[in-house]
Formats: sequence, structure tokens, C-alpha cells
Amino acid sequence: MNLSGIVVICQPQKLSAVAQALSELPGVEVHFEDRDQGKIIVVQEALSIAAEMNGLRRIKALPDVILADMLYHYFEEDPEILEGLMKAGRKQSVGESDLTPPASMR
Amino acid sequence: MTVSRRNFLKAGIAASTASMAGLSLGPAALAAAQETEADWQWDKAVCRFCGTGCGLMLATSNGRVVAQKGDVENPVNRGWQCVKGYFNAKIMYGQDRLTQPLMRMKDGQFHKQGDFVPVSWEQAFDEMERQLRKTYAEKGPEGIACFGSGQWTIQEGYAMNKLFKAGFRSNNIDPNARNCMASAVVGFYSVFGTDEPAGNYDDIENTDTMILWGANMAEMHTVLWSRIINRRMAAPNVRIVNLTTFRNMSSDGADLEIVFKPNTDLAIQNYIAREIIARDAVNWDFVNKHTIFATGPSDIGYGLRPGDEYAFPAERDIVAKELKVTLDKYEAIGQRRQEGEVVEQNSRGNPLAHWSISFEDYKKALEPYTLDFVAELAKGDASEPLEDFKAKLQQLADLYIEANRKVVSFWTMGFNQHQRGSWVNQQVYANHLLLGKHAQPGNGAFSLTGQPTACGTAREVGTFSHRLPADRLIGVPAHREFTEAHWKLPAKTINPKPGSFYGKIMRDLEDGSVKWAWVQVNNPWHTHPNSNHWIKAAREKDNFIIVSEAYPGISAKVADLILPVAMIFEKWGAYGNAERRTQHWREQVPPPGVARGDLWQVLEFSKRFTIGDFWGELPVPGLKGDGYEDGKLPSVLTEAGEKGYSADDSLYKVLFATADNMKYAWPDPVAKGRDNHTVNLLGDGWFVEKALWQEYVHFGRGVGKDLADFDVYHRDEVRGLRWPVVDGKEGTWRFNEQYDPYVTKGAGFEFYGKLAKAIPSGDLDGVTDPTPVPLPGKAKIFFRPYAAPVEQPDENYDLWLSTGRVLEHWHSGTMTRRVPELHRAVPAAVLWMHPEDASERGMQRNDLVWIESRRGKIQIRVETTGRNTMPKGMVYAPFFDEGVFINKVAIDAACPMSKESDYKKCAVKVYKV
Repeated sequence: MNLSGIVVICQPQKLSAVAQALSELPGVEVHFEDRDQGKIIVVQEALSIAAEMNGLRRIKALPDVILADMLYHYFEEDPEILEGLMKAGRKQSVGESDLTPPASMR
Repeated sequence: MTVSRRNFLKAGIAASTASMAGLSLGPAALAAAQETEADWQWDKAVCRFCGTGCGLMLATSNGRVVAQKGDVENPVNRGWQCVKGYFNAKIMYGQDRLTQPLMRMKDGQFHKQGDFVPVSWEQAFDEMERQLRKTYAEKGPEGIACFGSGQWTIQEGYAMNKLFKAGFRSNNIDPNARNCMASAVVGFYSVFGTDEPAGNYDDIENTDTMILWGANMAEMHTVLWSRIINRRMAAPNVRIVNLTTFRNMSSDGADLEIVFKPNTDLAIQNYIAREIIARDAVNWDFVNKHTIFATGPSDIGYGLRPGDEYAFPAERDIVAKELKVTLDKYEAIGQRRQEGEVVEQNSRGNPLAHWSISFEDYKKALEPYTLDFVAELAKGDASEPLEDFKAKLQQLADLYIEANRKVVSFWTMGFNQHQRGSWVNQQVYANHLLLGKHAQPGNGAFSLTGQPTACGTAREVGTFSHRLPADRLIGVPAHREFTEAHWKLPAKTINPKPGSFYGKIMRDLEDGSVKWAWVQVNNPWHTHPNSNHWIKAAREKDNFIIVSEAYPGISAKVADLILPVAMIFEKWGAYGNAERRTQHWREQVPPPGVARGDLWQVLEFSKRFTIGDFWGELPVPGLKGDGYEDGKLPSVLTEAGEKGYSADDSLYKVLFATADNMKYAWPDPVAKGRDNHTVNLLGDGWFVEKALWQEYVHFGRGVGKDLADFDVYHRDEVRGLRWPVVDGKEGTWRFNEQYDPYVTKGAGFEFYGKLAKAIPSGDLDGVTDPTPVPLPGKAKIFFRPYAAPVEQPDENYDLWLSTGRVLEHWHSGTMTRRVPELHRAVPAAVLWMHPEDASERGMQRNDLVWIESRRGKIQIRVETTGRNTMPKGMVYAPFFDEGVFINKVAIDAACPMSKESDYKKCAVKVYKV
């Protein structure tokens, strides 16, 4: 699961409309608005990094958004991948190893 | 994850993001931010990718990275990150991460044609050692080589440099930075006598004009680009110019876009210089006090391997031009010669030669570069009216020349990867110096770099085949002597003959003169142009290639032995960015499997050899030098004995675990509880990264390259420091009395670099008086003529090809392609081309086509829309994708002065599959 903190910048007079549009996007929560600076802070939740990045693109494409960028990134790795990586090769030497090179190396 | 935990996290992330974005928050929100992050350990770090050097904050928990944010305290990026930077931690967790040594084996033994089999570190090093001893016995110090990196940590590069140059007495070590900024280095050395920029990133906020010469910053230096755009928005008089060979993303933010033909930047810069003089805009006070005029030979070749022996049949016509060229119309005018004249490239052996000339000669040389001549030659988009192009060139000259208008010129690979890359670098300084607009806040020519530590490791440490740390050169006896003294080596340990540069190591493997090569932190078989030659050499010749890698890229696949490495935040390290800012980080998480850092690999391997193995008398064909018998490196074992060494002492003990270095003990409070896998594995308790750092900084102190002590960079409040760090104060603008403590009081400006500061005198045709005249404190204003690219489109190969990066991917993509989203954003490299060029060939967008040059052909999909708009007659392909191996097509022509390959122009044909 990925959570990202995103700052959205728009013209101050468009702030309400942009914030409204943002809050209607699935997975997006509007947390803070700064009317003077034209800044909106949202948190986006996504199942994968792919969804997260597409989500950011979706935000950038909204009308009147001048700039949208992620400033904060929280992620949880798939525990199985992580386990596999950390354990790999710890049992050593040819023959006794139960590991094979990655498919692309064979 | 529970709903409440998720909501809690979100509230904290929102508050943290808001405070980074400059929103003022109430106490409740701030408390939420703090609470969310309470269980995490935060530490500052630096981005692993481009030369910008953005600061990051990383959060770790239970041995892994859980969160990352831009570092608002870091003056480089002020909290912002680009899309690549955002995934710094993610690149460590790809599913095909290499986690154990793999060697090609057959019947339980190494075999060049064997399959990769997991082996232990012991087995891996046994074979590496055996192979090195075999090659060394046969070929001596020049039979081995190292492909190094502008992505090595400073300590890694320093250690490998020392192992090669002091231990193995071989100068065959050269970084991939050779293909990235070597032309910039020649510019710095020849113009100022010292490497690296006068200015810094604060120039952006201090200038009125930013001129991009072959630097697509919107895609390649996005964080700096956002600073540029902010500056543009904040001040209405600010102007941005994008000079490029095709329309790219930087054009969207530019006030003026100039699309020119490949290599004609040489002519455009001469037009500007000519205008400066014609409009009487020379800053004579500055020029008279601080500069001289100079030029050099133009018959210097194109960096190709001469002769047909190794050339593919189709390459031979171009390779022949390495020795003899027929001048075309424009070259003839630009060089004041006759069209059709055949010019033998007689200065190939000494391309760096130069001599002073008079201002009158300089002016005379510029005379042909009129607006009419340059516009006709340089206009890169056939559909653009000539008069419009002329008007743009005039506007460009206006911007440079306007009194009181501050100007910064930026460039990267467009200038550097150029058959006359050193010349265009010299020219851009010439124009800034003529105007007196250099080395001041907001005024200056500023060379950007592509890699995170091309400056810090490749250039400052001097990991090139001809360099030693801090602007010292292999070829200068006093520099070798200084290095030997500081390293406590016997005199004449260091080989006085410069080694092979990056592309030459490839050619050496091809002709069998190098048979043992170690690659660290780069991917040479993917990234060096004209790859068919090098892949064949690696796989079919009798040699042994070791690749230290994190992921199975092309180089790992052609290797004989793969050593799994620790990645960026799995080790301690330091990088130096493009504005001379040095930044350190701590090891944040352990490396996976039995992967181990490059530094550990160098040091552990050095334990297997003694000084007796290398410090006896050695034959080195071609070695010549004062005090050396021709063709021989002397034995230094007697003097080594006098210094207290025994021939049985290991290289590890003599070069690394010295008594001085062992004084830096681990653990150290500076670690703040972080671990150090390198120290743990070496097992003898010294703090390797700190000791090597302290040993290294001695080289730069007192010579204008001063670095601070290790602990200073690790202070909580420090976000890197720009050198020179003098009296605890970081450097800002060099060569300017107001800012640079190295400038003599009262001088105003002083270009105090020491290299190439005594040159002969002459005229435009050559040297007239060979007596070297010293030029202390002065910079050189070079004249350089237009030169045509060695390969140009013709009837058969009828299109220009340029290659480069895309925003989402880093270099050869071995890291970024592991991040699913970065991969998905630009999954396969595409060929950008003009829609008419496509339709004339019966092609449509997304068609799979062949792109073919004299050197090779590959399949690629056509793209006629999107982020790049090609002029007719030119195509562009990125190089990140190993499935679309464009370097098989690209030419290995190079700047003969810098030896940096030209990836930006060769001739191709494109046809349907």
C-alpha cells in the first residue's frame, strides 16, 4: 500500500473549485487549504505505485491545476519479496545452494 | 492495516506535507505529524540519480525504508523531488535484485562459455585473483583495467583509484564520467587551469537570463528547472532560451527556442562573439586584466580507432576520415580554407596543444561568422523561414550583450557529447569572458553534470586514467611525487604513463591488449556506443570480466563473474554534485542476501596480494619519462623496505589499513546507532569510510579544493557544503575576490588555476614562438572554428540520430526499470520522428521499424507525437531500454581532446520491418 502527500498549486481564486474536484477523486482526501498561497494538501491512497502515479497524473490533469507534486511518500513493501531478498545467498557454496540465478541470467 | 492506523498515518502525512509546502499549521496538526513518524528513524540522505544532488529524508523501521520525503532544509531542492528521486528507496527492492556472486561455470570450474552458477565470495575472489595473476604475468600493468563510475561513492572511487594506481601500478582506470563530462573538464582545465564551475545554483535566483545549450533541463534536471521556472515567474524581465536540435519539454518554458543543426553550435557561438566585438560590447577592463586570446589546431581527428583492422566493412568509409577529411563548403569558410581541400589530421597525437594569439587574429578568425553565414548553416528546422531564424539569433546575441543584463549559460550532454565538445565548452566561456559576465552571482557559464558524483568522485578524486586527486595529473612529476609522499609510497611507484580512457579500454579488450577488467557502479556494455564491437570482444575474446552489479543488466550478462553489491542506502557514502556541494549519508538498511558494498569488495580483494607481487621491475611498453628507463617501471621494493614495508605485506595493509587509518575506530558516535556492513565484514574495527575520507581531504587543502572533516558533513544542521570550505565557511563564487578567499586581495578577479598556464605564442596558423609564456591568474578566450560532424546523413543513411535520456529512467534503466510505475510510464524506448518522415517511409505511429547505421541495426517503435517534436530529417531514441539497444547503432566518434563519445549525431536509415 502506498500513501502520498501531494501539494497542489492553483490560482487562489480557483481554490474552492479545485479542492472540490480533488475531493471527488477516489482515493484522494483533501486535508489542508491555503487560500492566500493557492495551495491544497491532499493525501492519496493507492494499492500500487502504478496506481499512485496514475493518480498524480489525474490530479495534474484537473482544470486550473498549475502544478501538483508529491512531497511525501510512504510505502509498504510486499513482505514476501523482502523476505526472499534478505535471505538469498545466505546459505552458501555451489551444490548446497538451493538458489538459481534470476530467469534473465539463465 | 487497520482503518484507524491508516487514518492516523494519513493525518500525519498530510500535516508533514503541508509544513513542507510552507503552510502554517495549528498545534494539533503538527502533533499529528510528529506522532505518525514517532516510531520511525529519520535521517538525511542524498538522491542517487542525477547531478543536481537533491536532499532527501529517509525513514527506516525494522531494517527497511518505510517513507521518504524531500528535504526542506536542503538548499538544492528545498523539499521538492522529481519523479525518479521519489523512488530512491524503491529501487533497492526489485524482485531480480542480485544477492549472491554468480560465475560462469562448466563441470564445477570457471568456463568462459559456461552458465551462471551461484558461488561463494571465496570462490569468486579465488577466480578473480587467479585470472588477474595470469594476465599480469602476461601483459603487465596495462593488461588489466577498471571501468569506474560517476556514481561510485567518493570513498569507493578513492579506494579503487589507489588500488590500481598505487597497488597494481596501472593507470587503466577510467569512469563512465568520461562519456558524460570529460569535455567540460577539458574546458575548465584549458580555460581556467582548474576543474569545476565558478558559480553555483544560486545563480538561478540571481540572474535575468538563462540560456540552455543542449540541456533539456525540464526532463533531465527537473528540480533545477522548477527553480528556473520560479525565477521566471517571479521577475518579469527574466528570459529563458532553449537551444536544441529538436523541440523538447524545455521549449515549453522558454521565451525563445532555437532549433539548430548538429555541430552548428560552434558557428552560433562564433556569431555571438563576432557580434560582441562588432557592437563594441567587449568589457575591455575585464578582458585586459584577466584574459588572453588563444587557439589550437583543428586537424585533430574524430576520436575513432584509425585503420580497418577492427572496423565492420560498412564502417570503413567513415573510419577513413579519422586520418583524412575533405572540407565541405561551410567548414571551408569557417576555417578560411578552400572547399574540397583534403586535410590530413596531423594533430591527432596532440589535440590539446594551444597557443596565444593577438586580439586582431581573434577578430579576423571570427570574421566569416556573419549572421547570413551562420543562419544558413545552422537553421535546424527546414520548415522555419530563414528570416525568422535570423531574428532569433539576433535576439540571442541581444540577450548576451545587453548592458547590465545578467546571463547564465547552462549545458550538459549537448555540448559535452560532441565531436568538438571541448571546443564548444571553451567557446561558451569565451563569450562570457569577453562580456566580463563570469564568476559573479547571476553571471556565468555553468556546466551541469549528469551523474550524482561525476564531480565528487570522478573529477575531484581523479579516477580518470590521467588524473590523481585534486587537479593533479599522472603526467606531471611533481603531482605523482606529492601523491606518493602522501600515500607513503616509494618514489616511482606510480606509473608515469597515463592509462587507457573508457572507450580505449573497450578497444583494448577488442584487440586483446586488456584481458582482465572490473566494472563497478556502471553498465559499460549497455552505454558505450557502437556496442556490437564490445559485446563480441567481451564474449568471444580470451578475457575475464567482473561486473559488480545490483541488477542483471547487459554488462552483468556479458560478464564472467557477477558480484552483488550493496546499493545507495545500504552503505555509507558521499557524493559531490554539480555546484561543488559534497553531501554524506549513513548506512540506513542492511544489504540483501550476501550482497556487499563496492568498497568492501575492493578492500577485501586487496588482501589477496602483496606489494611484492607488483612493486618489482615491470615492463611497460611505450613508457617514457625523465628518470625512467624506456619501457620499464623500476623496482621500488628496496625503498619500500626502507620505509618499513616487507615484500610480503598485503596491499590491504600498505594502502588501506594503515596505522594512520586504523586510528579511526568503529563504532563512532557520528553513526548515531547506524550500522556499517563494510566495517563488520572486514572485521578489524576501523571506520573505513571515515578514515579514507580524512586521508583523501589532505589532497585538496590549500589548493582551492578544500573539503571539511568527515564529522562536519554528518552534523544535523549541515546539508552538504560547497568547496572550497575555508575556515569553516563554504565556498560560493570562485575566482571573485568578493567571495573567494583564494583570490589575491585587490585583484578583483583571479583565475588562479595552475594547469596549462604557460603557453607558446602564435597566430591563426600555428606557433610562431615556442617559448612558454606564463599567464598567472588569467583565463583564456579561445577561438574555435566550425567543424562538420564526421558522419552526416547521405543518400543511404538519410537521417540524423540523436540519443539521450528520458525523465523517468536513469541511464541504462537497471535501477529505474525495477520500479513498476517508472517502467510503465515509458515501458519501451520509442523512436521520435517527424510525421512526414514517417509517412514518406510508409510508417505510422506505433509501427515497429528497423533503425540501421553502418554499425548495427535494431527494431524500435515509431512515435510521432508526445514530449519531443523532431524537425524533418532527424530522429531521437532514448538509451535506457536494453530491449531497444540503440548503442548498437550509435557511433563511437569522440571529442579527440576529451575522449568523450558523441551520442548526439550519427547517420541512420529507418525502414519497415
